[in-house]
Amino acid sequence: MINHHPSDATLTSYAAGTLPEALGLVTATHLSFCPACRDAVALAEAVGGSMLEDLAPVAMADDALVQVLARGDMPEPPVMTPVREAKLPGPLKYCSFGRSWLVAPGLRWRPLRTSGRAWGGLLVAQPGRRFPRHAHTGLELTCVLRGSFVDANGRYGAGDLAEPEGDHDDPPSIDSDEPCVCVIASEGFRLGGAFGLLQRMIGL
Amino acid sequence: MTGAPRMSPDVGHAALIQAVASHADRQAFAELFRHYAPRVKAWLMRSGAAAGAAEELAQETMLMVWRKASLFDGARAGPSTWIFTIARNLRIDRIRRERHPEELMPDPADEPEEPPQADRLLSAMEREDRVRQAMGTLSAEQADVVRLAFFQDKPHSEIERDLGIPLGTVKSRLRLAMSRLRSALEDLC
Ligand SMILES: [Zn+2]
Repeated sequence: MINHHPSDATLTSYAAGTLPEALGLVTATHLSFCPACRDAVALAEAVGGSMLEDLAPVAMADDALVQVLARGDMPEPPVMTPVREAKLPGPLKYCSFGRSWLVAPGLRWRPLRTSGRAWGGLLVAQPGRRFPRHAHTGLELTCVLRGSFVDANGRYGAGDLAEPEGDHDDPPSIDSDEPCVCVIASEGFRLGGAFGLLQRMIGL
Repeated sequence: MTGAPRMSPDVGHAALIQAVASHADRQAFAELFRHYAPRVKAWLMRSGAAAGAAEELAQETMLMVWRKASLFDGARAGPSTWIFTIARNLRIDRIRRERHPEELMPDPADEPEEPPQADRLLSAMEREDRVRQAMGTLSAEQADVVRLAFFQDKPHSEIERDLGIPLGTVKSRLRLAMSRLRSALEDLC
């Protein structure tokens, strides 16, 4: 049962293709758990389709159609999307990750190799740990893959997505008996303590 | 739903895509090309692409329409929605490849989805049609935030700057706009 979802603003940006890669991946991970948000994205895509219809056309090159048909007659190059992380759900299977770090006792971080103005990774937190304290400076999304955590807004289990509005002063704490695995992405947050060190180490 | 299903103008385009899928119908494709390629190019230019890059990506989009026509599922999305998502995915790929030439990331939106439920089979084309009508009923402010979300590769914090309104207001206007669109579709499902 999914209880926490991305905002409509985030789902709309996802459908428009304007979310930075790492944030798009966290959203897509939630979508792989959540039929309701898949419907919401389908609606936003229909908005995209309707805007396409209503745009004033811009003339194509004279030979554009001939060119495309000529290319269409050629054999299609195969597209490979290798599975790199068979144990991870949804779109994370195809992602490339860096080395895993022990960033603090009971907290392990594995950065996602993505491009764009957001960064992200997997956080594995042992039972009873708290997430690092930090301040938000942009959109930040966290999707739980396993285990659960609690914060002021409630409990987040597998598939739930946290999209905090404004700063959270009270960092989430792990309340599951098993380690909590989350995928997190952010347009930039500032961290204190050990994570601040990590942030500097990975060049942010 | 009561009465006979209304015919959407997109039904014609759906039939053209099916003709491309079933017998590589070049005439049908030419018609699709004339309608959609200039609109895809316009969208790309509105989203910040230069004319040359937009032309190239619009051609690429139509090439995918030709090659992937058999994957078009009229029960899931109407023609313009389907073509929009192809253009969007190619644009995402292009941006990533420019930054990461060695790495081709799969697009998360390509994730296989569950088959649509039988009671939703009829609705995709009508949904597209209905969304278009409902867009016209949004307030000017709501329409603005929706349009900016689709036309510009910007974080909401920059949309905030462009419109001169706080981020919280951008988000709540989007929420209102989307729930308005959702309720316009509710009696379809
Ligand atoms: Zn959801």
